[in-house]
Amino acid sequence: MILSGLIFIPMIIALLMIVVPKEKTAVFRWGAILASVIQLALVAILVQNYDLTKAGINEAAGYQFVENYSWIKVSAGSYGILDISYTLGIDGLSLPMLILTAFVGLIGVISSFSIEKYIKGYFISYLILLSAMTGVFAALDFFLFYLFWEMMLIPMYFLIGIWGGPRREYAAIKFFLYTFIGSLLMLLVIIGLYFSYVTNPGAAPEDMIHSFNMITMMNQGNLVAGSLLSVEHWRHVAFILMFLGFAVKIPMFPFHTWLPDAHVEAPTPISVILAGVLLKMGTYGLVRVLWPIFPESVLYFAWLIALFGVINILYGALTAMGQTDLKKLIAYSSISHMGFVLLGLASLTTEGTMGAMVQMFSHGIISAMLFLVVGVIYDRAHHRDIDGFGGLAKQMPVYAGITLFAFFASLGLPGLSGFVAEALVFMGGFSQPVTQNLTIIATLGMLITAIYYLWTYQKVFTGELNPKYTGLTEINSRELTMMTALGVSILLVGIYPSSLTDLMTVSVNHLNDLVKSAGTVMVGLN
Amino acid sequence: MQETIIQLALAVLILPLVSYLVQIFAGKRLPRQGDWLATGFLGAAFLIALYIAIHFLSAFDQTLSYNLNFQWLNLGKEWSIQLGVKVDNLAAITLAMVTLISFLVHLYSIAYMHDDSRYATYFGYLGLFTFSMLGIVLSDNLFSMYMFWELVGLSSYLLIGFWFQKKEAAAASTKAFVVNRIGDIGMWLGILILWSQFYTVNLDEIIAGIQNGQFTLSNTWLTIGGILLFMGAVGKSAQFPLHVWLPDAMEGPTPVSALIHAATMVAAGVYFVARIFVILSPDALTVIAVIGGFTAFMAATMALTQNDIKRILAYSTVSQLGYMIMGLGVGAYSAAMFHLLTHAFFKACLFLGSGAVIYAMHHEQDIREMGGLRKKLPITFITYAVATAALAGLPLFSGFLSKDAIIAGGWGWASFHGGGWYNVVPALGLTAALLTAFYMGRQVFLVFFGEPRNKEKYDHAHEVPAVMWIPLVVLSVLSLFPLFSLNPLSGDAGWFMNLIPSLQTVVPGIDGAGKLTELTELTHHAHWSTVISSVLMALVGLAIAFFIYMKNAVDTDKLAQSLRPLYLMSFNKWYFDEIYEVTVVRGNIVLAKVSAFFDTFVIDFLVNTTGFLVGFFGLLVRKFQTGKVQSYIAFALIGVLVFFVLKGVF
Repeated sequence: MILSGLIFIPMIIALLMIVVPKEKTAVFRWGAILASVIQLALVAILVQNYDLTKAGINEAAGYQFVENYSWIKVSAGSYGILDISYTLGIDGLSLPMLILTAFVGLIGVISSFSIEKYIKGYFISYLILLSAMTGVFAALDFFLFYLFWEMMLIPMYFLIGIWGGPRREYAAIKFFLYTFIGSLLMLLVIIGLYFSYVTNPGAAPEDMIHSFNMITMMNQGNLVAGSLLSVEHWRHVAFILMFLGFAVKIPMFPFHTWLPDAHVEAPTPISVILAGVLLKMGTYGLVRVLWPIFPESVLYFAWLIALFGVINILYGALTAMGQTDLKKLIAYSSISHMGFVLLGLASLTTEGTMGAMVQMFSHGIISAMLFLVVGVIYDRAHHRDIDGFGGLAKQMPVYAGITLFAFFASLGLPGLSGFVAEALVFMGGFSQPVTQNLTIIATLGMLITAIYYLWTYQKVFTGELNPKYTGLTEINSRELTMMTALGVSILLVGIYPSSLTDLMTVSVNHLNDLVKSAGTVMVGLN
Repeated sequence: MQETIIQLALAVLILPLVSYLVQIFAGKRLPRQGDWLATGFLGAAFLIALYIAIHFLSAFDQTLSYNLNFQWLNLGKEWSIQLGVKVDNLAAITLAMVTLISFLVHLYSIAYMHDDSRYATYFGYLGLFTFSMLGIVLSDNLFSMYMFWELVGLSSYLLIGFWFQKKEAAAASTKAFVVNRIGDIGMWLGILILWSQFYTVNLDEIIAGIQNGQFTLSNTWLTIGGILLFMGAVGKSAQFPLHVWLPDAMEGPTPVSALIHAATMVAAGVYFVARIFVILSPDALTVIAVIGGFTAFMAATMALTQNDIKRILAYSTVSQLGYMIMGLGVGAYSAAMFHLLTHAFFKACLFLGSGAVIYAMHHEQDIREMGGLRKKLPITFITYAVATAALAGLPLFSGFLSKDAIIAGGWGWASFHGGGWYNVVPALGLTAALLTAFYMGRQVFLVFFGEPRNKEKYDHAHEVPAVMWIPLVVLSVLSLFPLFSLNPLSGDAGWFMNLIPSLQTVVPGIDGAGKLTELTELTHHAHWSTVISSVLMALVGLAIAFFIYMKNAVDTDKLAQSLRPLYLMSFNKWYFDEIYEVTVVRGNIVLAKVSAFFDTFVIDFLVNTTGFLVGFFGLLVRKFQTGKVQSYIAFALIGVLVFFVLKGVF
């Protein structure tokens, strides 16, 4: 029940909010805080009771806190039996993501206190979004997964489209259409998978139970002979389609242009959620679904995936350097950093995969901090033009120090979480012949990232104080609280990474072994 | 004993970190902004480090070393990432050296930085830097070394840009970090090569692995790996072609220059090469020797014509680091480490001395505005003269012992390789010795002798307070020969050269033992000729400076005119900044602009066009949505008809 609680408590509180008159702003604000705090507490209970020795991935027994209820079960005649279940469960891949969601979710709520417009609608949308995101990370039934996946879209659309900046409608529509097309590709493959896998292979066609259960699809013994996805090249096609569906969310070059627009228009807390949690949906989809279901395609396309990862890293970094809008710069740096996840996953090594997972978490907290940093200055100066400031470190020394911390975290300074992730990705990528050369090229990203962050800092914070900004107020205690919480987490993971990696070790190794061994077993399937 | 020493070493490491945290979070609220606390912490760290050093010196065992490992990251595989500390002779001596200089710089800064508005923060940054530096010194593995390496980069960034309101300081700090990062990337790739071979980052294990022939790639890869690792040192120790950040780093406060850009941070590169020395292949060592020799010469030529008192010292530092790198490259391992130690003291003394001059002259840094200051600043003058003598390589001073040993090693190495072009490397070193004596002579004569050229500033100048001159005196005493060797003409018999023995590489296929002896023989052979030639060089250099700047035997402007191309080349630092500006910097900007343009006008254009076309198609289809039931029935009928017609056809 704990996972259901985790998912639905924000939604229940949101539903309760509907009946509260919209003038009672404190109720919405503190109600949202309450929802987030409960989520965080539940996640703490999960971590406390989590069994580190269980792997999960493709073994139903390895999942923990499982809830499994049959939801829809109808016979479809010669098409077998349709079986949709409400299945939740977590393993080492999903637990860190739940921690991230609850943590960044709370930060987002605190940051949302600065929202002044339609407060009621805002917090209701926010909490529904929170529920949906949590649901994605806990769902084990593909139907349910897809449901939560789509459920994120709608509140996000409104949060950008109503509470956003001047071009919010354009950005919201772009975000919606882009991700929606991505989900359609995913849906297509889900249906294909649904027809190709059954829980009782060998039964008569009308008795075959076609399940949406992900774990069923990860075990190739459940493949129906002669079905569409038992043909190797169709499996590759399905892999590519679904990969593209997730790639939009990551976002992977060249499907990334929705992200800068969405970020620039979104209000600060929504940018925090977008970069902190939402982008991880794409890469989480890869490890949760795509890698275990299509291991042979992963092996087949590994080089290509790594290539796109490296393009993301370098192209994102270079484009970031060419920006003049601070928020856009951070958005492109997100694209660059998510490239490390692709590179790490494509290396198919324990280090690389772990690096990718750590990067997902680390980028979640670092980018949350970066967008908060941008929010602080935007709230005060009402613009984000990098060339329009100058010398702010004199006026706001604490804020300058925090910005520098966030910038250095993002450029991979050792002792902070980003370094652990990038180091592991490099180690994994370099050790494999397939990805070795690409990894060498990717190290250039370390340099470009340093250049654009330090130049930005130099332009905004150093030199003589711009006389226009002698009246700026120092960062306030609410902002400082959020920054401190994020900063401490970044330091913790950076100095003592085992605090994070130990949760994932068994699962990551299992995933890796699964992909590598299944990839060889599947050869000659046809 | 092992446990105690390790614990003490860790205490030395942690104390500056504590100082940093206290200063950053509480410094402003402490009495005197906590300067006594930070200085006290460093003093304590030095005393502990001294105790450790004495322990090692009294044991006098070349192989003595203490080790402590712990598991940092275990991913459930047969390998894990083990970090740890190792205290051996080299580490113990360096530990004492770094903490001593850091302590003295703290002390000195109490007066020098007195009026600064970010006084507490300043001491915090000094602590962070010292912590990072000590981390490098104590690391027994490449991984944590790399981590502290980058942290040194960070603290250097913070300290160079400490006066961030100055545009030049802010630009210099960015430049320093970025240029260093180029080196770091090389170093990181080198670590990756070794990691992918041995799945360990522990240096001793890597060395053992190479020794046992477990390096499965070809020797070329080992050479490449060595050179890549060396790139890290090229960045930190400001070697050609990554030396460009160091002179700009002089924008930082002068005590910082003394600590970071003279004695410690820049020495980290040399220290690192020493740590990985045995895994460097002979080819890699040759590259290192050439780069070191060339840098020693190049930077010395740049120092000839500078007018900023600190910049002269900055180029001199680059040049001296070139000596150390060259020493390592030619296999004069002990000599290079020896020079690292002696240089740290006399160069810190020079920088702090220049700070005293700048302080006394009210922030005047141009040596053309000075003159005659020996009367006003007697203590500063004497200490400065001692350190200059050490740097110029005059007998009786420490620098002579170590520099001489490096050049002798260079000759030995050259004849070991059969002479020929190999002789160029020690010859460059010897030429640099002449240039060094000249530019230091020029500086001392212009600053301390002759008539004051700026009467007003001269009249206001007075000797610096005791907290500033005490460090100068300590450091100048440490620049005399007896501390290091009782024979003023050779360091070979001194404790250092015997405690830190020369090493041979473990690269398979290179039979070390016999060759090391041969190399040592040849180096000994070159000793006396080196002594004579280098003393001669130093005297000639000083003499030229004396005649030009004291006797005014030559009109310097005319000399500059007649040698204009050479003068400009030197004065403009061989145009490195300009070359990098038009290639690397501009190239980067253009690439960034092109990417940003491409993203907006190609990729996003395609996205928007697709969106527009779909919308346009929607407009067409919308025409069918008339809202009239009649037309819907008509459309439906047409549809049904078409269906049956088609069915009939097929």
